[in-house]
Amino acid sequence: MILDTHPALPEFEYIRPANLAEASDFLAQHPDTARPFLGGTDVFVRMRDGFMKPEFLVDVKNLDGTNELRFDSRTGLTVGAAVNMNRVIASPDVQAHYPLLAEACRSVASYQLRTRATIVGNLCNASPAGDTIGACLVFGGVLHLHGVSGPRQEPLSGFFRGPGKTTLKPGDIVTAIHFPIPPNGCVGKYIKLGRNQLSDLSIVGVTALGHKDSTCSSGYRFRLALASVAPVPLMPAEVETYLANNPLTPDAINEAARLASQACSPIDDVRGGARYRRQMVRNLSVKALTEVWKKLD
Amino acid sequence: MAFHKINITINGGLEQVVVPSNMTLMQMLRENLALTGTKNGCSAGECGACTVLLNGEPVNSCMVLAVECDGTNIVTVEGLAGDQQLDPVQEAIIQSGGVQCGFCTPGILISARALLDRNPDPAEEEIREALVGNLCRCTGYVRIIESVKAAAKV
Amino acid sequence: MAEPKVENSTSPVGESKIRIDAREKVTGAAIYADDIQFGNSLLHARIKRSPHPHALIKKINSEKALALPGVKAIVTGQDFPGYIGLYLKDRFFFCRDRVRYVGDPVAGVVAVSEEIAEKALGLIEVEYEILEPVLDPEYGARPEAPLLHPDLGKYAVASFIFPQPGTNISNHFKIRKGDVNGAWEKCTAIVEHKYRIPHIQHVPIEPHIAIAKVDEAGEITLWGSSQSPFAQRNLIAQSLGISPGKMRVIAPYVGGGFGCKAGVSMESLAVAIAMKVKGRPVKLLLTREEEFFTAFVRQGLTAYFKMGCDENGRLLAMENTFYWDGGAYTEYGVNITRAAGYSSSGPYEVPNVKTDSYCVYTNHPVGGAMRGFGMPEIHAGLEQCIDELALRIGMDAVEFRKLNCLKTGSTLVTGSRMHATGLSQCIEKTAEAIGWGKKAPPSAPNKRRGKGMALMWKAPAMPPNAGSSAWVELAEDGTLNVGVGGQEIGQGVFTVAAQMAAAALGVAYESVRIAAPIDTRYSPYEWQTVASRLTWSMGNAIVNAAKDARKQILDIVAEAWDETPDDLNIVNGVVISYKSEKEIPLKNLVIYGLPKPGDQGWRGGPIIGRGSFMPTYVTGLDAETGQGERAVVHYTTGAQAVELEVDLDTGRIEIIKGVSTFDIGKAINPELVEAQMEGGFVQGMSSALFESLQLKDGVLRNPSFVDYRIATSSDIPKDLQSYIVEVPQDDGPWGARGIGEHSMVPTIPAIANAIYDAVGVRLEGPPFTAEKVYLAMLDAGIVK
Repeated sequence: MILDTHPALPEFEYIRPANLAEASDFLAQHPDTARPFLGGTDVFVRMRDGFMKPEFLVDVKNLDGTNELRFDSRTGLTVGAAVNMNRVIASPDVQAHYPLLAEACRSVASYQLRTRATIVGNLCNASPAGDTIGACLVFGGVLHLHGVSGPRQEPLSGFFRGPGKTTLKPGDIVTAIHFPIPPNGCVGKYIKLGRNQLSDLSIVGVTALGHKDSTCSSGYRFRLALASVAPVPLMPAEVETYLANNPLTPDAINEAARLASQACSPIDDVRGGARYRRQMVRNLSVKALTEVWKKLD
Repeated sequence: MAFHKINITINGGLEQVVVPSNMTLMQMLRENLALTGTKNGCSAGECGACTVLLNGEPVNSCMVLAVECDGTNIVTVEGLAGDQQLDPVQEAIIQSGGVQCGFCTPGILISARALLDRNPDPAEEEIREALVGNLCRCTGYVRIIESVKAAAKV
Repeated sequence: MAEPKVENSTSPVGESKIRIDAREKVTGAAIYADDIQFGNSLLHARIKRSPHPHALIKKINSEKALALPGVKAIVTGQDFPGYIGLYLKDRFFFCRDRVRYVGDPVAGVVAVSEEIAEKALGLIEVEYEILEPVLDPEYGARPEAPLLHPDLGKYAVASFIFPQPGTNISNHFKIRKGDVNGAWEKCTAIVEHKYRIPHIQHVPIEPHIAIAKVDEAGEITLWGSSQSPFAQRNLIAQSLGISPGKMRVIAPYVGGGFGCKAGVSMESLAVAIAMKVKGRPVKLLLTREEEFFTAFVRQGLTAYFKMGCDENGRLLAMENTFYWDGGAYTEYGVNITRAAGYSSSGPYEVPNVKTDSYCVYTNHPVGGAMRGFGMPEIHAGLEQCIDELALRIGMDAVEFRKLNCLKTGSTLVTGSRMHATGLSQCIEKTAEAIGWGKKAPPSAPNKRRGKGMALMWKAPAMPPNAGSSAWVELAEDGTLNVGVGGQEIGQGVFTVAAQMAAAALGVAYESVRIAAPIDTRYSPYEWQTVASRLTWSMGNAIVNAAKDARKQILDIVAEAWDETPDDLNIVNGVVISYKSEKEIPLKNLVIYGLPKPGDQGWRGGPIIGRGSFMPTYVTGLDAETGQGERAVVHYTTGAQAVELEVDLDTGRIEIIKGVSTFDIGKAINPELVEAQMEGGFVQGMSSALFESLQLKDGVLRNPSFVDYRIATSSDIPKDLQSYIVEVPQDDGPWGARGIGEHSMVPTIPAIANAIYDAVGVRLEGPPFTAEKVYLAMLDAGIVK
């Protein structure tokens, strides 16, 4: 309710743990009252709105390895939880090997917000509109987590459970996201349809990644991820399958886009209506897939 | 709620401030240090009026906790000019007529300074993109964009 | 023309001087109301607001809240029985028995911190009896609608506002000119349309703020971000039943106003709360969210237009019905209804006009003044109908406008005559600059390109006797201090005031200071900083004050030199004689006067010039016909055109080019005028493409920048051109008229007409979002 918005941040205790183990323990001991935070760009807004009322904010920046942005030509890219989006955008490794990730980051809000915003924060926030989620999904991101029983890894693909809901358990902290080496010669595209030219949240977001693949009958493999059109970020497998198994033509792309549009379940909200969103999933999927295809050939 | 003692460099001078957990950098600047050039337009990281440089990078100071700034270096609009000389972005926005009500101006100047620091010769598209987080309701942005172009030539 | 006889080669009038306030604004030194330091005595207030659009207050229990440590006092409507309002006194400071919109103030808390005050709000218990709300103005105007103001007949009201007690209609303005019914059969083409204009918000980057302090003797000081310090002094004092002289308003720089800081809004709450904690300053700062749903909004409008022309394209008749969604209180909005009525023909000569403009109470946020004061709303539909009528009759839309637009001496919709106007030149210049008639290919195969134009007119909407005053005085160094009561809200009025004072007195612009902040105790009276009237009205007062000082100076010098004042002049701060070629700097005489020869005493003394201005010629309009001799002081006219592209894949509009041309009489500072045209175009564009307050069952669904989008630096056209036409105003300083608001009036219809040109669809109203445009194209079969 609009009447609940606070003029400033309501009271809470700021906690800065010395290491990940301490952070996990504290969070596990206060499952309902403590929250980890990184840039705070979502948490602070939700606290002012009265949606979140944590008693403790646990600052997990600066903890073991969370500031690391590292590329290894054998294993891939690791983006630490505290690495802000501007750093990702400016990274020569990201620009060289994962330009789609930089493109997605660059579409988020404003430069000064991206000084604070992080990819891991964007993932943990689990908004269906999260701009970087699509790129993380199509690159096959793997989450590095730290919980009460120590570190572990989870694929991003099963992470989202609903708007704002993830598989994270009390005490879990995402320390980084890792991406394997992308397929050779792959091309990506993120199309974000916002109300403004830049800076807005997406009404619809379409992420496409494609590469040539002689193991499938069409000779191409595509991944498509959709934002703001379902309770969770969507990566419709039927699109991937269809484009792998049918000769790549404009008609095939139209059909794949139709499948994408069918796979989503958009709602009417202040940003846009369901009917429009479904249409846009189709049109923008055609656009993104076609653009990727053209660059591949 | 706990209070924290922090040491922070602001516009070149070292300050020690005691801040509660929930105090933002913006509140600390305006309320504790009377640096009121940094403006509060939305307290939600959307309008950019409170933009300052944190270790050389622009941030919405309403979206940063003061306690997080222990040991950092902050530059506000009050710290842009030298002893006698305005920063080129300040001089250019005056000459270009990019100031009207002036409330967004401090944040605009910080964003512009940060842009020119990382990219001394930005294209118009890059200027527009760098200012997208600074809302202005008066000018229509035209003269602000012109002023950044002019400042880049200095 | 009130041009002073100054042969001054260094006159800054007409020059694009650097803004007088620029330097302090770029260094962070400029003080806005929230920047004033009050020290430890400062208390903070928050407001308990109604969650219901319409309900009766049964009980308020604030005991628990009062018991919270740090809470100093709680105020409710029971404490303040006086009504307040600008043209119609229809609201209380705090609701007394009934709430009428979501956000209506029910109680105020003052505490040692904002946080404690906020906590206390949650402890105040309010019991409501929920009533059926009115959420549509057309429905609200009907007899069966629930009555929102049963006491409408008892409210004090200005003589030119016509409420209808027993209904929700708080003003009904009528035009009955000629014979509309008889004219329709003579028309070759007739168009009829309905448009809906949504509520929008002003969105100054500085939210509303007020700090109030009441001393033991009951003297009140109010610091605020205000376009109307003098009106606030008068209205708040009246409502409290105290003498306005006991109220002092101090108004530093305003961080954007656009009308929402005109009149009285939340300032009265701060004053009311401060009365409970005498001796302590109390600060009330609206959150951005509150700014969206509790500050004055631009009223919504449902408008019906019918217009017809003969076979030559000459306009014969118009019939317009406007239902203004005035919101919970229409104390200011009633006059928007009136202005829309007397401007309802648009800038056209139409022999037969029938207009009904209704201001209707609804359970929506409170409507108030916003840049354009009703004109963007009515022009939005009117100028689309003009395009359609031109199309029906087979005429080019620009030719149609040139044929029908107002010329000097045309008969206006109110029966009076148009003063000298350059509207035709504005049309020609705009058409030329946009490349009218030439169609450029779109930038991509999936895009369609179009051009559109729209005209506008607007008069300052104000009481007939709204006045201005000014003083000038000189310091020992000969610099000029100019006292004004008009506010610097970003438009540049302090700069223009300094230029006019310098020119009228004969000193350098650089030697002028404006006595700021505006303080009703020290500054000269000004009605309000609204209506784009300051350059003209306050400008006249400044010129009069400078002339007064000038006469005093020249009389002294003439006497000393044994010459006549006619042979003297003041140039660049020096009095010179064309006869004897003597000269003396002002600084040598403006404080201490001049010695008489032989130690025989002195002449003169400190120089202080005074001036005022009030239009005395504005007459009323007949309540039944809306006809009268001279209802307004003048009309500023102009034209805008846009070129845009529609993306067929998404419906997204990109404005490629914008052109504005306005006849402003005389540009005192051409760059400032252009800056107003640019800023107004972009605000108009923003309202056309992005903005609407999404109200559902009376609740605002987008009360933040996240979901109430305004134009950013990425959205503006690459090419934005502004042109000035100067056909002088007979009673303006150097011939000047206003420009501040006008620049956003024609933007919505110019864009709508360009969309139609590009893809052939018309929408019921703005914003022309990508979604609405796309779905319209889809439904029309333009896209699949």
